[in-house]
Amino acid sequence: MIEPVRDSLDHCVKCTICETFCPFSQVTPLFPGPKFVGPQAERYRGAGVSPDASVDYCSGCGICTQVCPQGVKIAEINSQARAQLWEERGIPLRNQLIARPSVLGRLGTPVSPLANWALQNKALRLLAHRLLGIHRRAPLPRFAGRSFQRWARRHRSPISRRRVVYFHGCGVNYYEPAVGEMVVGVLEHNGYYVQIPPQDCCGLPLQSNGNFEAARAYVRRLVANLAPYAREGVPIVVNSTSCGLMLKREAHEILGVEDDDLRAVSEATYDFCEFLLLMHERGELRTDFRPLPQTVPYHAPCQQRGHGIGKPALDLLALIPDLRVIELDADCCGIAGTYGLKKEKYEISMAVGERLFRDVRESGANLAACDSETCRWQIEHGAGVHAVHPVELLFRGYGLDAPAPAGVSAR
Amino acid sequence: MIGGGSTGAGVARDAAMRGLKTVLVERKDLADGTTGRFHGLMHSGGRYAVKDPDAAKECIAENLILRRTASDCIEDTGGLFVTTPWDDPAFGDSFVVGCEATGIPVEEIAVSEALRREPRLDPGISRAFTVPDAALDPWKLVWACARSAQEHGAQILLYHRVVDLERDGQRVTGALVRNELTGEELQIHADVVVNAAGAWAGQVAELAGCRVSVLPGKGIMIAMNHRLVNTVVNRCKMPADGDILVPIRTVCVIGTTDVRVADPDELEVTQSEIDEMLDEGEKLVPGFREARALRVWAGARPLFSQEEVADTREVSRSHALLDHRDRDGVEGIVTITGGKTTTFRLMAQAAVDAACAQLGIERPCRTHEEPLPDSEDGSFYVLGSRLRAREPVPQSEEIICECELITRQRLEEAMERRRTGNLDDIRRTLRLGMGPCQGGFCIYRATGILHAVERLDHHAANVALLSFLQERWKGAHPILYGDQLRQARLDDWIFQGLLGVQHLPT
Amino acid sequence: MTYDTVVIGAGLAGLTAALRLADEGGRVLVVAKGVGSTHLAPATIDVLGFDGGPVESPAQELSRFGEAHPQHPYASLSIDLIAASIEWLKTRLPAFGYRGGLEENFVLPTAVGAVKRSAVVPETMAAGDLRAGGRFLFVGLGLKDFFPAYLADNLGHVSADSAVSARAIELETSPGGEADVSSVGFARRFEQSTFRNAVVRGLAGQVERDERVGFPAVLGLQDAGKVWRELEEKLERPVFEVATLPPSVSGIRLFEAMTAAVRKAGGRILIGQTVTGAEASNGRVEAVVVQAAARPTTYRAGSFVLASGGFASGGVQLDSYGKLREAVFDLAVSHAEDGPRFLPDYLDEQPLDRVGVLVDNGLRPTDGDGRPLYENLHAAGATLAGAVPWREASGNGVSLASGYAAAAAILESDS
Repeated sequence: MIEPVRDSLDHCVKCTICETFCPFSQVTPLFPGPKFVGPQAERYRGAGVSPDASVDYCSGCGICTQVCPQGVKIAEINSQARAQLWEERGIPLRNQLIARPSVLGRLGTPVSPLANWALQNKALRLLAHRLLGIHRRAPLPRFAGRSFQRWARRHRSPISRRRVVYFHGCGVNYYEPAVGEMVVGVLEHNGYYVQIPPQDCCGLPLQSNGNFEAARAYVRRLVANLAPYAREGVPIVVNSTSCGLMLKREAHEILGVEDDDLRAVSEATYDFCEFLLLMHERGELRTDFRPLPQTVPYHAPCQQRGHGIGKPALDLLALIPDLRVIELDADCCGIAGTYGLKKEKYEISMAVGERLFRDVRESGANLAACDSETCRWQIEHGAGVHAVHPVELLFRGYGLDAPAPAGVSAR
Repeated sequence: MIGGGSTGAGVARDAAMRGLKTVLVERKDLADGTTGRFHGLMHSGGRYAVKDPDAAKECIAENLILRRTASDCIEDTGGLFVTTPWDDPAFGDSFVVGCEATGIPVEEIAVSEALRREPRLDPGISRAFTVPDAALDPWKLVWACARSAQEHGAQILLYHRVVDLERDGQRVTGALVRNELTGEELQIHADVVVNAAGAWAGQVAELAGCRVSVLPGKGIMIAMNHRLVNTVVNRCKMPADGDILVPIRTVCVIGTTDVRVADPDELEVTQSEIDEMLDEGEKLVPGFREARALRVWAGARPLFSQEEVADTREVSRSHALLDHRDRDGVEGIVTITGGKTTTFRLMAQAAVDAACAQLGIERPCRTHEEPLPDSEDGSFYVLGSRLRAREPVPQSEEIICECELITRQRLEEAMERRRTGNLDDIRRTLRLGMGPCQGGFCIYRATGILHAVERLDHHAANVALLSFLQERWKGAHPILYGDQLRQARLDDWIFQGLLGVQHLPT
Repeated sequence: MTYDTVVIGAGLAGLTAALRLADEGGRVLVVAKGVGSTHLAPATIDVLGFDGGPVESPAQELSRFGEAHPQHPYASLSIDLIAASIEWLKTRLPAFGYRGGLEENFVLPTAVGAVKRSAVVPETMAAGDLRAGGRFLFVGLGLKDFFPAYLADNLGHVSADSAVSARAIELETSPGGEADVSSVGFARRFEQSTFRNAVVRGLAGQVERDERVGFPAVLGLQDAGKVWRELEEKLERPVFEVATLPPSVSGIRLFEAMTAAVRKAGGRILIGQTVTGAEASNGRVEAVVVQAAARPTTYRAGSFVLASGGFASGGVQLDSYGKLREAVFDLAVSHAEDGPRFLPDYLDEQPLDRVGVLVDNGLRPTDGDGRPLYENLHAAGATLAGAVPWREASGNGVSLASGYAAAAAILESDS
């Protein structure tokens, strides 16, 4: 147990505000609620023992920690308790698999047509449902068939004194390389020399599935690659808000990683929209946007809100003429990373996301925006509306899509 | 027998098991006295290994017996004696010698290992030793003894105060007791009276015309909101104030002081004692003063002394059995006093042996081998048990006290059984209101349930609610700061602002 | 990031100030370390309910009260301003159907059967008014935070001469379902017509002709007015809600309505971020610093409102050494004299009860000599010294009026 998180339970005054906001305990009695499972149950977990399996139904969305008026690190306590639980019981094969998107990506990319076919094949999905526990209707992404890293190796970024390092994450690398190309394009359009060092997974899915050892190993490798840049004062930009939060906060707070490398990287990590908005506040952002006359509902992922920076995407998209962005009210799409892929949690996840799906559908728009790839896939699955990272609207707004890009995000 | 603490309950059990017709009278609830106010440490004897070897030997012998016979009341936390930067490292050697000489299993471990087990300990500790200390739940213990006594035919009369001892010349023949709840008086005839009234033993003995000098040694204790340590931690030095930190159930308790007082019913908690405990806590666990303190209370040790002493720490912690036939020429009464909860069974045995001698019979004691109710399978209490019990089907029952995970069903059962219209009694039985919110969320609910289950009229229910709040306040207000102050403000808002309990008719 | 005003705290005081300013076109940011007091208290506006004895008319008592308690926020807030804040709330949040004013307090039953006097009450609670006496039926739904039998028992004995009689009934609402449903869970159920119909059916033939029907305050979250009206129609009786333990469903409605209004008026709300410091120069606060993930963020503004609450929310802190501290700006805090911090009698007024930030008539925090520390900083709500809301029944009244006043002061200094 990492002490600072655990000791925050002392601040709990049992007000149950966290429970009124938890999207998951609202839809399932299998999760007793964040107060119950967090600061309350933690007093009963002596010497790193987690007798309560219901902690596994916490999705890790982090909304509880955000709304707690007393500063209890509820979601973090739950994460640690879950890791303890799985350490005692042994992590099932399914969780080990889906927690390693970079491994799956490396395996699936060379055989992507076959892999994609298999992932959509009803009979094989039913088999996976029964044998592995991955729900047959879960929104699994399609392999792009080419990795972003390969494109990056061949791409020459125009040299400039303004440097930025891009941490693209597994989502871009294996499933949505076009998003990565757009991130690079927008940064270069604004005069940045974009460097893409060797990099692998940040370890977040391993953390949320309770395998702290492996998660730490991944994070340490990643920050070892990024730290030299951070120390030179080069900002590190991340387009996936979940991976960004891992580097900014969770690797230290939840996994307890204390390395100097991590500290340097955390301080230098910026969410992509955060980075652009800060540029805009300094008067450095190019605002030569052409009109994009459409309505786009925007959903800020739970972990984006965990950054504590407001919703910079809204301010950025407001710069594009004729673009009408609707800020969606609903809290959570329900996917919570790998949570909604699991057989026993899929229905819960869809019930949680129902309000968001309905709001997206009722907006009448044919495009939605959201900063996290897993949330986008869930929104497409639940609302039937195509969802893009805000960068895609900026890319089009700048007119950088004039030569047709190599496919938009994977469907 | 007189007194419902651990000794008294132990005597009632032992006597009833030996076939004696037994009745126990206690002026309040079981374990309302010293037994319910200690830190919950089941001694290995290490604390006395150097200073009081006789007490140490008794402790380790009883420790092993209780592990076999009262396992359900015990959490096997183990114990550590640590040498902090404020302690003399050389004492550790005398400590080891003392333990070995008194039969206490002791082992020196690496400091790194101690810190691995207990990450909150001061990283500056220089030595660490393990001993078989454990955490003992006094209410479970006392209630188990009482149930066992009842199963063997004893009668337990709570809220019955001894008004006088009946005498026939130089012979005690019984007691006059008053039921404090109804006012009714009762005459109890007995061949032998056992006085196990602990710190009040002197007051009881006086009713028989015997002078027993029991010096109440007040000690305060502070319960911290969560277990900063999961092992009993002792300072490796000569026993002094604030050198024990005990994990007991969901809290940990730091104690204690030792101040001679005149009246065991007048136990004041002073700010300087509190500051002393917090400072000593800080030496064991850096950041102690930022951690959340739930409440503070005082108990009175029954220190028996043949002569006057200046510092009550100088009095032996061994017990004393006084047969007044020999000592004062008064027949029919024996007093058992001194001692500590860890050795309660031995004390009870001594008392019942003496009682049997006065009755002219010889019956063997079996309390060292027969397990208490609920301890039959020998498995220790585990901290997570209430949490695990909520697990298989979450939310199939209403949880009324959420901090302590008490269901409506358990609450109703306890209320049906006790029928005293008093929520504090329920608190002692189930730990109602003993968690971080100190009743903020559960006491309105519990009062509503009490009103229904015990068919109270609104006055009685209101009195139960308000007196519970007053009782909680008693232990809370001297140590209210930081997180607990926030809680208290929220609780004030709930009870006074939202519910308006201050306006209820009583 | 530059704003016109940064409001610290998302309780009623903070949201009132933010909404007033955003409505007037200000660029407002609300920063709060969590969700505020709205979720703990009912949505009634208690202005002054008790002062040594029950207060029947705040209008008649307020000026005397302010003179008797010169450090109380009401001493700096005129009756006109308090009345204006109430009128503003009523018109700004019409969905609540707020009734009442300063002339005469409503007398409402509490969940334990005592009574509380509130000046302004949402329509869903108004029929619980005991002033004219009457017969009341309290309905239990299996919610563990509501004990109608105990409530009715106490209420029936409220005072011998007030013609109030009360009884209770329990409805079984969860056959074979979840056992432990919270207030919010019940509120969601009331939003389903099947549930409402089941409740109505369960009460069929059980309600006397002249009885008013009291439920715990769980009559819906999004559209409580609709739920309440439907129940009144179908039961053909006056229906009302009784506030019970947190989480307060009526308070949640208030929070949702006000935050939505703030957003719609262009304001921004940042929940979950603690203000850890401020930058100031020349007697003005320039910015506040917020601890976001990995890095502090600075928000600059022309004016600031501190509505971070008192002890309960950590806006004012007391450490184990007895040191008092206001948590954001380290402002001077009115302190109790030396001596015990708390007294042995639970119901007595305690030395630290009225502790808070001292302000001038413009609600600006002052130094020990009564001079404002910063010209563009105002304080509102439970952070202020002098009030004991849980005894006086003044909580939301102080928050609403002081939040309104802080906004008014800022608008005035801007013009």
